[in-house]
Amino acid sequence: MVNWANFVSQLFNGLALGALLALISSGLTIIYGTLGVLNLAHGAMFMLGGYAGFAAYRATGSFVVAVIAGTLFLVVFGMLIERILIRHFYKRPHEDQLLVTFGLGIVLVEVVRLIFSSQSQVVPPPQIFAGITNMHFMFYPTYRLAVVGICAVALLALFLVLYRTRLGLIVRAGIEDSVMVDSLGINVDRVFMVVFGIGAMAAGFAGIVNAPVVSLTPEVGEAILVQTFVVVVIGGVGSFPGAILGGLISGEIISLTSMVDPAYAYVMLFAAMTLVLMLRPHGLLGVKGRE
Amino acid sequence: MNADRLYSTHRPGTVEILTAICLVAAPFLLPLVDAAPNTVNRVLVWGLFGIGFDILFGYTGLLSFGQSALYGTGGMVAAWLLTRAGFPHVVTALVIGMVAAAVMGYLVGLVALRRTGIYFAMITVAIAEVFYFVEFNPLAHWTGGENGLPGVPAPVFHLGSRTFRFDTGWSLYPFLALCYFAGIFIALRIVRSPVGAVLRAIRENPLRASAVGHNIHAYKLTAFVIAAAYAGLAGGLLGVLQAFMPPDAFTFDTSGQLVMQTAIGGRGTLFGPLVGAAVWLFLQDFLQSTLKLGATWKLVLGLVFVLLVFFLRQGIVGAVRDLWGLILRVRRSPAAPAAAAAPANPGPSGAAIRPATTMTPVHHANLLHTGPILQTTGLTKHFGGIVANSGIDFTVNAGELRGIIGPNGAGKSTFFKMLTCEMPPTSGRIVFEGRDITGMGVTDVCQFGLTKSYQVNQLFNRLTVRENVTIAALAERRGKFRLDLLRSLTKIPGLREQVERTLELVDLTDRIDAPVAELAYGEKRRLEVGLALASSPSLLLLDEPLAGMSPAERVETVKLLKSIGQGRTMIIIDHDVDSLFELAERITVMQQGRVLVEGTTDEIKGNEAVQEAYLGGVHEVLHE
Amino acid sequence: MQDRKPNNQSRRDFMRTGLGIAGALTLPTGMVSSAIAAESQPPIGTWPAGAQGDSVFIGVAVPRTGTYAVQGEDELKGWQLAVEHINEGHPLIRKISPKTKKGVLGKTVKLGVADSAAKPNEAVQAEQRFITENKAILMTGSTSSAVAVALNKLAQREKVLYVSGISGSNDTTGKDCVRYGFRQCFYGQTAAAAITPVIVKAYGKNKKAAYMTPDYTYGHTVTKSMQEALAKDGWTSVTDQVSPLGAPDFSSYLLNVANSGADVLINVNWGHDAVLSTQQAKQFGILDKMKLVIPYQIPFLAPEVGGNLLAGVYAATDFWWTLEDRYPLAKMFVESFEKKFGHKPEWGANNAYMSFALWAEAVEHAGTFYPPDVIKSFEAGRIIESTVGPVHIRGADHQLVRPVIIVQGKKASDMRNKEDFWTVDEVVPGEGLMQTPDAFGCNLGSYT
Repeated sequence: MVNWANFVSQLFNGLALGALLALISSGLTIIYGTLGVLNLAHGAMFMLGGYAGFAAYRATGSFVVAVIAGTLFLVVFGMLIERILIRHFYKRPHEDQLLVTFGLGIVLVEVVRLIFSSQSQVVPPPQIFAGITNMHFMFYPTYRLAVVGICAVALLALFLVLYRTRLGLIVRAGIEDSVMVDSLGINVDRVFMVVFGIGAMAAGFAGIVNAPVVSLTPEVGEAILVQTFVVVVIGGVGSFPGAILGGLISGEIISLTSMVDPAYAYVMLFAAMTLVLMLRPHGLLGVKGRE
Repeated sequence: MNADRLYSTHRPGTVEILTAICLVAAPFLLPLVDAAPNTVNRVLVWGLFGIGFDILFGYTGLLSFGQSALYGTGGMVAAWLLTRAGFPHVVTALVIGMVAAAVMGYLVGLVALRRTGIYFAMITVAIAEVFYFVEFNPLAHWTGGENGLPGVPAPVFHLGSRTFRFDTGWSLYPFLALCYFAGIFIALRIVRSPVGAVLRAIRENPLRASAVGHNIHAYKLTAFVIAAAYAGLAGGLLGVLQAFMPPDAFTFDTSGQLVMQTAIGGRGTLFGPLVGAAVWLFLQDFLQSTLKLGATWKLVLGLVFVLLVFFLRQGIVGAVRDLWGLILRVRRSPAAPAAAAAPANPGPSGAAIRPATTMTPVHHANLLHTGPILQTTGLTKHFGGIVANSGIDFTVNAGELRGIIGPNGAGKSTFFKMLTCEMPPTSGRIVFEGRDITGMGVTDVCQFGLTKSYQVNQLFNRLTVRENVTIAALAERRGKFRLDLLRSLTKIPGLREQVERTLELVDLTDRIDAPVAELAYGEKRRLEVGLALASSPSLLLLDEPLAGMSPAERVETVKLLKSIGQGRTMIIIDHDVDSLFELAERITVMQQGRVLVEGTTDEIKGNEAVQEAYLGGVHEVLHE
Repeated sequence: MQDRKPNNQSRRDFMRTGLGIAGALTLPTGMVSSAIAAESQPPIGTWPAGAQGDSVFIGVAVPRTGTYAVQGEDELKGWQLAVEHINEGHPLIRKISPKTKKGVLGKTVKLGVADSAAKPNEAVQAEQRFITENKAILMTGSTSSAVAVALNKLAQREKVLYVSGISGSNDTTGKDCVRYGFRQCFYGQTAAAAITPVIVKAYGKNKKAAYMTPDYTYGHTVTKSMQEALAKDGWTSVTDQVSPLGAPDFSSYLLNVANSGADVLINVNWGHDAVLSTQQAKQFGILDKMKLVIPYQIPFLAPEVGGNLLAGVYAATDFWWTLEDRYPLAKMFVESFEKKFGHKPEWGANNAYMSFALWAEAVEHAGTFYPPDVIKSFEAGRIIESTVGPVHIRGADHQLVRPVIIVQGKKASDMRNKEDFWTVDEVVPGEGLMQTPDAFGCNLGSYT
């Protein structure tokens, strides 16, 4: 009874959804892994990147400028927030960190609503990617294909930074043992600031890149945030490859479940997350002992 | 109610009476400040919801974003009984809803409490979302889907010839106030009970709470069920308050609002959620109707919240309490120097002054066992490719004082961790008093009479010395889990004596009410030993008790250890070989995960292999 | 809620008799009975407390944040304009409610607004406050039918009148109807009945339809109404993609639709969900393969969707500003709205304005704010002039009998100004579209 064309197209769509989730989640997992802070404002940062890009688009009409603007804005914003707010919470209990980022998320959404109103804003995709591609087993929006590519490139860039540069080495060392990194004389303050900026940037970049797909409203980050949790838990908190794997798996879960019963598509994610937490608590690629 | 103190600093009943007075006075005073009766009622419902949450979060340290699931469950069950099923009695329906929520909380807790910290928070988020979906979609027939269940009746009481009907507004207030008072009354009993003490210990240091003999999983589950029960009752009351049970009770937003209100009001205070709800609801009204902010009200509220979290760590109630404490301290300070001048034994006290207390070991795995108290065979531990311990055969006889020495990396601490069952061995067996304890947990082993004092202090940092030892002694007196929720901590027989005896043994009697933060390092180490001792163990392990001590402190500690060792078996790891030679009768030397040699102190002192192990070839060099 | 003192009672009795005699001599008979009845009325709800001063208060719970914030703001503007017009005795209001002079029964109308975020709980909380603190004599607000149902129940319990805002579910005047609640706008049943003949005429019989339904009763009832109506012309439903409210991405649902082999996509989604699902449907090439039908139109759908995606698309709606060419009252409404707010009104604003106007008319006609009398005034079913022609309330379920407007999206090249998104295709009279009063299980409650 399975409609094979539908199945394959959903499989592919899950990949596309997953690539985006992987990118956003990698930001969250890097921040948590290094700083030990679960950034509940991550969804809001995704949204913020979209709006920053939208503002740039409105001013210049160029999608490329929009992407650069969205990304840069979030790098700076992320670093500022770390400096002004997050830094004061490292020594405080975990719950305080959750609370303050939760509050920050709400504030960001409402500020954006104040400036841009609740009406949804459209950012059209760049001309070269507009339209539909005939992929024989289905018709797929060209821009979504492009998004898969863009996310892959971004993840590759992140990978190179993390695994091939000195900064990346410090970040990964910090994920392992930030106290030790500090004792080695490395300016951990600066590293943390940069890491938060990178994590925010990943979310912001994803936000503007995804804007042509979903259109922007102040609420666009809320659902993403919860899905990001799921990805991070499935993949393993603090693990960059885990975020990628978790993202892809989550994307597929959403797509394939919608084939069976569309209403359950997102709830199945939570069921999967709970399952992973029960059976393999550190996630598929997570490091044991990181709680 | 201060979550940092186990024993109430007030006269008994003060808090309850004050609460009752405030609740009775409210309907007369609040209209003067323009408070709407339905808002006040809502504040009470949130406050009740928050009491349970505060026990879970403020007292036990478990931040759950999933309380809405239980709030909604209780509310829906009660509302369904009263509307669709035509159940007549409101109060009974509320109780049934509460019980349903508690049962659901138990089941959810079994799943969620498998993890801690961030993971736990994330599971609770998932649970909230799943419950919302289930309530909205598959169970829509019972829950009314997104319309909720309308028509929830008001409670009606028939007493003799008079009928009391609690409708809405101020007429419903007495009913809600009574529920809130009952809720506070019970909660106060719970936090003042041994269970409450253990919950705080779990928040402070779950590792140690477990190691001193408490089944922390069972206690956490208890806290979770308590929170669920309060949530369920509050949910039912919401339905009565609105004559309508909404589906939004189940949303993640509801959980989020509860968390924020508790943080604003002050966690670990029981009244914090009430204060937080009052602030939240008041601001929500004020910002919209008075300041006419329109859609920006949420922005302002969010900013207020962030600022409060930033500056007032203990919320409003905490800030008020700190202020009060500051005022009291300022008033009391002239008397302080006089009190400080008269401590009994300042500094390291001489052994002659110490009273001849002993504490006989009470706990055994097998009282009738003769033969070695502890025996390991082939104990091995691998960490991936690294072999920490390899094939250790180790025997200790009852009453012995055994020392373990060895260079760094010898695997001594790992060995201890396996003995206390903090870590399972890769292979091998551990037999304690003839009972095979391999693979058991640290809590059970402690209850059998095997405890350890840690290399790095594992204390309950925000409690006082007395309170620290009380936690350990509670496990000794009550076993690993007991549900004595309503019993007062002061009424446990023998608890006080156990605590004071332990503190005498480690010579901390004059610091008994000092907070841990004020102790000197040596005193903290003594407290560390005291925690292990309070369980009246028959076998006490000490992991580097002398680490970081000055020579004078070492001398005193050695004397202390000698006196503690009377009547029980002790195994001590340390790097201070000289002190160990003085203390111990037999020494085991470890190197690179294996037992190098074992013998009496004299034998070990002159043993060349040992010298070589430590110094690595100096012997040859010296004899060149 | 307070007991009268005994000496007041006897004085009232005297006055009552005296007035009764005087009344019988001077007033028309209908007025006499109501005047006499008014004298023996115990306090009910917020009456008479809320009507004693020189102003009366209306409580509004509207979404200003959240998914329906855009539609909520539009509704709010409608209410605000209505209040302004009522208070000044504007000619438009006078046309709808001829007895109005200034205010309602001479009293100024004041509005209190709270953000409901489309959540029933928040709305109930806000309205309860308006009732106890401000003695509101009328409540309004809903964009989500869940809120409308919740406020219906609250109205009946508190005995305070409620006129709904936007509410598309059949249940609001169906199984969840109440004596104290009234609805002005069109709903699932009438939308389906109105649009079905139009699309059958346009696209033919025996077609295959794919549905996209938001997962709550509004969605399910509209889809059901459409399916039942279309089945009569041989249409089948090949798939029904049910999505959660606020779904961030419709791609998986749209792929299923694309592979379903349908001829027509019937999108029941509302608010931002409709915007997103439509945009993404375009992205997935569905709009090139299938026709799109929007059975229950959303205010601001066209500008939000953008890209002229709605060209040629049929939708059923409550009001569109180009009706100003057909109905003089619509012209007055659109002009004053545009003058005050700088843009043309959407149907949420019209619905809001009309519900207040109808209420003002009912109260003026009853001559009192006493709720049961106002209700009876509504139920009398007088024909009233509105922005869409003559309308009347159906007493059996408190639903306004009014036409449904079928519109069709315009091509960008045909747009005369930047708000000219739709052409009015047909104005379908309401009488034939509605179900029998008891078809949806409506059981109005008591008057007191």
